[in-house]
Amino acid sequence: MKKTTLIIALGLMVSATFAQKKTTTSASVNFDATTPSDAMPKADNKTVVAAIDTKTGTVAFEAVVKSFSFGNPMMQEEFNGAKWMDSEKFPKATFKGTITNLSAVNFAADGSYKATVEGELTMHGVTKPVKTTADITVAGGTVTSKSDFTIVGADYGIGDAGGKVAKEPKISVVAEMK
Amino acid sequence: MATANTNKKNRVRKILIIGAVLLAAAIGTAWYIFTDSFSDTAKEKAAYTFNAQDFIKEFQQNDSASNKKYAEQIITINGRVTEVEQADTTVNIKMADTTTGSYVIFAFQQQDIANVKKIKQGDSVSIKGSCSGGVYSDILETEFITFKRCSIN
Repeated sequence: MKKTTLIIALGLMVSATFAQKKTTTSASVNFDATTPSDAMPKADNKTVVAAIDTKTGTVAFEAVVKSFSFGNPMMQEEFNGAKWMDSEKFPKATFKGTITNLSAVNFAADGSYKATVEGELTMHGVTKPVKTTADITVAGGTVTSKSDFTIVGADYGIGDAGGKVAKEPKISVVAEMK
Repeated sequence: MATANTNKKNRVRKILIIGAVLLAAAIGTAWYIFTDSFSDTAKEKAAYTFNAQDFIKEFQQNDSASNKKYAEQIITINGRVTEVEQADTTVNIKMADTTTGSYVIFAFQQQDIANVKKIKQGDSVSIKGSCSGGVYSDILETEFITFKRCSIN
């Protein structure tokens, strides 16, 4: 009897653990480093891995740098080259963070919530703190997160190509996690 | 004296013509580079053709060798769709190795999206696209391979 109770308890714990972690392999990250003199440095990556733990509020993203798709072939090559992202050496960009106002987000109830997220963004081999807000929508167990922020390229050892590329590229993230 | 002046004028004219031709060539080259865009993947010739499961296995065995060989190559992958996943306003197609969880995922070029939205889980499809390579996911603890600018064959 005791053994059966233990197995049931373990089973419930395992299912609870799985239920609180929601993921997607199709999060979308848009990168916009356009300037008035150059409209080309703009790309999107729609195959980003994302996860959220609704109990602890931890969030994580993983993007393959070579998956950023540009309209212009030369720009895509430059973006992956040694002077910019050096994607051969640093194939992934990652973000690990936490929702700091977790009590303001009710993952158990459908609705829209404003979250603040703090964490660390790693790209080009450099890790820097990032603080942003996210619009979170909960609908039928699916958590959709939308966030816009800017980064300073120089902080990550990425130049501005003599002013042709924005010093502070805009990043937009959309993740629909189930 | 008149002959010397004529020679000088001719030389100046030649320099001006050569300068104008070089300038036009430079503007043309710059215009070509800056307005160039990727061609329709449907019209590209695939360098390799694979069954999805074999392709995933090759990356699982040695992803650095596979990345060197296949990254930025146009490749056709044939296989069964394990998931159609919402990607912002578009959808991605996923083919997974159900025993390990490793997968290959395809993001499509704009002109193919309407057709991709008709595809369902379980369908057998042939997809051609630019391979971005494979990496190990620390989040999912599995290997994943991504494709961009894909087209349905």
